[in-house]
Amino acid sequence: MELIGLANYALFMGIFIGIYALLALGLNIQWGFAGLFNAGIAGFFAVGAYASAILTSPHADGRLGGFELPFYVGWIGSMIAAALIAWPIGKICLRFRSDYLAIASIGVAEIIRLVIKSEAELTNSARGITNIPRPFGDLPYVESQMAYLAIVALVLLVAYLMVERQFNAPWGRMMRAIRDNELAARAMGKNIEYRRLEAFIFGAALMGLGGALFAHFNRSITPEAIDPMVATFLVWIMLILGGSGNNRGAILGAAVVWTIWSVSEIATDQLPQEYAVKAKYIRLFLIGLMLQLVLRFRPEGLLPEPLRGDQRSDDASSKS
Amino acid sequence: MKSKVLAIAGGLLAATALASAPAKAADVKIGLIGGVSGPIAAMAPAMIDAAQLAFQQVNEQGGVLGGDKLVGVVGDSACNPQGGTDAATKAVNIEGVVAIVGPHCSGAVLAAAGSVTIPAGITVVTPSGTSPEITGLADNDTVFRTVPSDDYQGRALARTLKGMDYNKVAVAYINNDYGTGLANAFKAEFEAQGGEIAGFSAHEDGKASYRSDLAELAKGGADTLVIFDYGDGTGLTILRQALENGFFSKFVGGDGMKSDAPIKELGAENLSTFVASSPVGEQSKSLDAFNEAFKASGGDPNAIFVTTSYDAAFLLALAVEKAGGDKAGVAAALRAVSNGEGEPILPGEWKKAKELIAAGTAIDYKGAAGDQNFDENGDVPGTYALFKVSGDGFETITEMK
Repeated sequence: MELIGLANYALFMGIFIGIYALLALGLNIQWGFAGLFNAGIAGFFAVGAYASAILTSPHADGRLGGFELPFYVGWIGSMIAAALIAWPIGKICLRFRSDYLAIASIGVAEIIRLVIKSEAELTNSARGITNIPRPFGDLPYVESQMAYLAIVALVLLVAYLMVERQFNAPWGRMMRAIRDNELAARAMGKNIEYRRLEAFIFGAALMGLGGALFAHFNRSITPEAIDPMVATFLVWIMLILGGSGNNRGAILGAAVVWTIWSVSEIATDQLPQEYAVKAKYIRLFLIGLMLQLVLRFRPEGLLPEPLRGDQRSDDASSKS
Repeated sequence: MKSKVLAIAGGLLAATALASAPAKAADVKIGLIGGVSGPIAAMAPAMIDAAQLAFQQVNEQGGVLGGDKLVGVVGDSACNPQGGTDAATKAVNIEGVVAIVGPHCSGAVLAAAGSVTIPAGITVVTPSGTSPEITGLADNDTVFRTVPSDDYQGRALARTLKGMDYNKVAVAYINNDYGTGLANAFKAEFEAQGGEIAGFSAHEDGKASYRSDLAELAKGGADTLVIFDYGDGTGLTILRQALENGFFSKFVGGDGMKSDAPIKELGAENLSTFVASSPVGEQSKSLDAFNEAFKASGGDPNAIFVTTSYDAAFLLALAVEKAGGDKAGVAAALRAVSNGEGEPILPGEWKKAKELIAAGTAIDYKGAAGDQNFDENGDVPGTYALFKVSGDGFETITEMK
C-alpha cells in the first residue's frame, strides 16, 4: 500500500461521495423539506445519466446520439430531462400519502429501468452507452481524478448553497409548514399540490445531475447501474443517518456511509481466504445495522434539522 | 447523546481503517473482481475458486518471477458499475495488483475499465462479460476477455445455416439482452450472406399462447423458424405451438434452446427437423486437465464460466511472468503467450511454462475453454457446434465457424 495509492483511493472516494451527496441533497428537498417519500431515486438518477450520455457521446449505430455536445450542456440537459420526467410522475403520484407514494415511486423507477433496458433506439437497451467523454479524462490517472473531484466539489458546492438558500428562504419555511401540518398550510392559502410538485421536480433535477456526473466519471452507463440497492436505499440511509432536513447532514451522511461501505471491504479482505468471500455480505449487514442503530438512538440523524428562528440568523451570516 | 453517536460512527470508521494492515511485500497480487453479492451471487464463488486454483498451481510449482507467491485478491463488484469501480479502485490503489481477472458483469467491466484500469494502465481479463460494447472500448489494448461476445454466436449460426441451404427464415426472440443481442447479430450476418429474413419479432416471456405471434411470422412465407429463447421456458411453448399448428416445418435454436426439456415434452420423433447451436468446451486435453484439477480441489467443473475464469487467471499469471512483473508490460505479454505460436502449454503446466519463458522460448497457452487466441480487440472466438436431436439427447452435426 503506497501513499500515492492511498491518496488516489481517497480521490476516488471523494468523487463518489460528491455524487452521492448530490443525490442525498435532492432527496433532502423531497423528504427533508416536503415530506415526500420518494423510493424511486434510481429512476431519476438513470434518466439524468442517460440524458447526458446521449447528448455528449459520439455517434453509435442503432441508437439516438452522436450530438457530441460539451459535458456541461449534457449536465444541464440531464437536470432538465429528470425534471421533465418528474413532472407527470409527480402530477399523478403526489396525490398519494407517504407509504403509498413510496410504493408508487418504486414502481416508477422500475418502469424507467425497463424502458431503458428495452428501448434500443433510445438507450442501446441492455448494452448501455459507452465512450462518454469525461472532462479532463485525457490527463494521467491521478491528475484526471483530481480534476474530476474538483469539478464534482464545485458542482456540489453550488448545489448546496442554492438549496441552503431555498431552505432559509420563505419557500423553505412554507415547505416545512406543508410537511408538518398540511391542513394548517392549506388554511393559510398555500397551494399544497403545486408546492409539492415543485419540491419533487427540484429534487429530481438534482438526482439527474448526480446520475450525469456518475456516467461521465465511468465513461459508460448501463442498466445495471439502476440498482435499487446502491442507487436508492443507500441514498436513503445517507440522508437518514446524516439528518434529514439538514443539507450539511445530507452531505455528511453521504461521506460517512460511503466511507464505511467502501472501506469495510478492505477490512474484511484481511480475513483468511475462505471467509473473505463470505465477509463481503457483511457490508450489507453493516449498513442495515447502522440504520437500525441510528433510528433507535438518534432518529434525527447526526446533524439534526436546524430549529426555526433561533439559529437561523447565525447560520446565514456565517455562511454567506 | 451526540458524542455517543459520533463515537459509534467514528469507531466503525477507525475499525475499518485500522484493520487494513499492509500485506507482505513479496507477494505478487492479481485482483479477482466478481459479483460476490448481487444478481450472480450464486455463480461467482465457483468462478473465483477456479481462478484461485490457477494461482494455487502456480505457487505449488515454484511461484512467479523469483519464487514470489501469486495471491488473488478478491473484490466485490456486486454486478453493478458502482461496485465495479469501487472494487477496481481498491484493487489498483490499495492492494497494488499487477492485473485483474474480472469484473464478472459487463456493466461493471465497462465502468471499471473506463474510470480505473484504462487510466491506470492495468490489464483486465473478464471471464464472463459478454456485451458487444466491450469490443469497441478505447482501451489502449488493456481489456481482454476469455468468453466470446454475444455477437459471435449469432453470426456463426447465420453463416452455418446459410451454408446448409437455409435461405429464408423467420426469427422469434425473447425480449431481453440475451435474445435481442443474438437476434440482431444473426439478422445482420444472415442478410449480409444473402439470406432473407421473412419475419422478425420479439416476444415477452411467460404468455400462455404465442399462436398469433407465430401466425404473423409465418405470413412471410418462410419454412424455417429460428428461436432465440430458453428451451425450458417460453421457447418450449413456441416450439410446441408452431409444431401443433404447422406454422413452420424446420426449427433452429440458439444455445438456450439446447435443453432436454423439448425432447422430453415433445418427443424426439417430432423434432427431427430441429437443430440448435451451443458452445462446446473444445474436447481437448486442456479441458480434461482442468476438470481433473478442479474436481480434486472440490469444485464442480460443469459450473458456468469456471473454465473461462481459470483461463483468465492462468493467462495473467503467464503474462506477469513473461513481463517480469512489470504492470505496464502485462498486456503485451498476454498477447505473446496466447498468439497461437510457440510451445503449447496446457492448464496446470506452470513449471514447464516458467522454464520456457526463462529460456526465451515462445509459448502458447491452450485454455480449458478454448485456445484463447485474442483478436485485435482482445476478444476470443467461441467454439460452437450445431446439434440435432438423436435419441434422448443431442448429437453434433457440424462445427460452426
